[in-house]
Amino acid sequence: MASSSDLTPSAGNTPDPVSGQESGTVPEAVATTGRGRVRLRRAAVLAVPAAAVTAGLAILTAQGALGVQFAISGMPFTVTATELDGNGFAQFGGLDNMAEGSPNAGDTGGQVLVVTSVIKEAELTKLCQSVDLGGTNLLITAGGGTTRVSAKDLTTDSTELSGDAAFDNIEIGNDASTLDKAGPKGRGPIGVFSQQADTVHIKNLRQTNYATTAGVFKLPGLKMRFSGSGC
Amino acid sequence: MPGDRRRGLRAAFRDWRSGRPFWGGLLLALAGAEVLLTMKASLKVVLHVGMQGVAGYLLPVVMLLCGLLVLVNPSQRLFYSLIGVLASLGTWVTSNLGGFVVGLLLGCTGSCLVFGWLPDQESRRDRRRRRKAARVARTAPPPLERGAGEAA
Repeated sequence: MASSSDLTPSAGNTPDPVSGQESGTVPEAVATTGRGRVRLRRAAVLAVPAAAVTAGLAILTAQGALGVQFAISGMPFTVTATELDGNGFAQFGGLDNMAEGSPNAGDTGGQVLVVTSVIKEAELTKLCQSVDLGGTNLLITAGGGTTRVSAKDLTTDSTELSGDAAFDNIEIGNDASTLDKAGPKGRGPIGVFSQQADTVHIKNLRQTNYATTAGVFKLPGLKMRFSGSGC
Repeated sequence: MPGDRRRGLRAAFRDWRSGRPFWGGLLLALAGAEVLLTMKASLKVVLHVGMQGVAGYLLPVVMLLCGLLVLVNPSQRLFYSLIGVLASLGTWVTSNLGGFVVGLLLGCTGSCLVFGWLPDQESRRDRRRRRKAARVARTAPPPLERGAGEAA
């Protein structure tokens, strides 16, 4: 059995029903029921450091020192940002499949036509992400302060994308399998329309996404909360 | 007749439950499932991102397995609970902030419950009564009364 972290005098660290050392005055109370129980002090030995590490992770993330990976889907969610600057941009069409028998499928046959955008290095100001959970929204905001949100290999599958965009060295109409400006991640299936650019700047970005993934996502000034309204 | 059988089943389940850190293991397994649920991005996109995307699936699966193993094999609970708490903390980085915090908290709580669980404990009421008796005996132990207590 493990270390005797439980300090109560009557702590039975071993299952044998030997009477507590000091409580010999009440010997009849010693009979055990044969059931296991959680001893709170023992649990606290693990709970205290776990809580400390959780708090540490949250603080590091909020300061932007620790990157976080996102990958959610199945439900559409909205992403907005006042400004997006990216290096290495690629965009192509694709088809996302939902899990078989997904309740979100509706009459779409479980498939969603999406535009996949890949940005090799992206920086965003005032990022806001919201998921409609039916009645309430899970709202995540970050990058409102001086440090911006940064992401590597940011991949989004969107059904809607709007904003004021400016591109440098854009090439439109490439075959998606020949793209090279967004690195190895920014390459699509053969025979699909695509476009790519060296840099991209978008103001007042608004996306409806089915999936977002990023190699690393740094979220300074992270805030997560439930809210009645989305982004 | 069917009622008897159901009662028998329920009693058997209670016995089975009392021999293992049931709630801790269940919470840990549920936490893994919850994180996995929030991760259901299309596999194509995840493979796109590579190793880090796969880690996002790996950790919740480890949580789920640890939770189930705690129930199946309670004698190894310390090991499983430690792996479980580490995996839960890791999901903060790899899997949507630990399934939007919910899975992380459930997983840590479950692991702590498993860690703190001990077999063959007397019931809480008995323990409280015994502790109180011990305290009384310690604070005011006139030799006469103590002798009486021991005789009882």
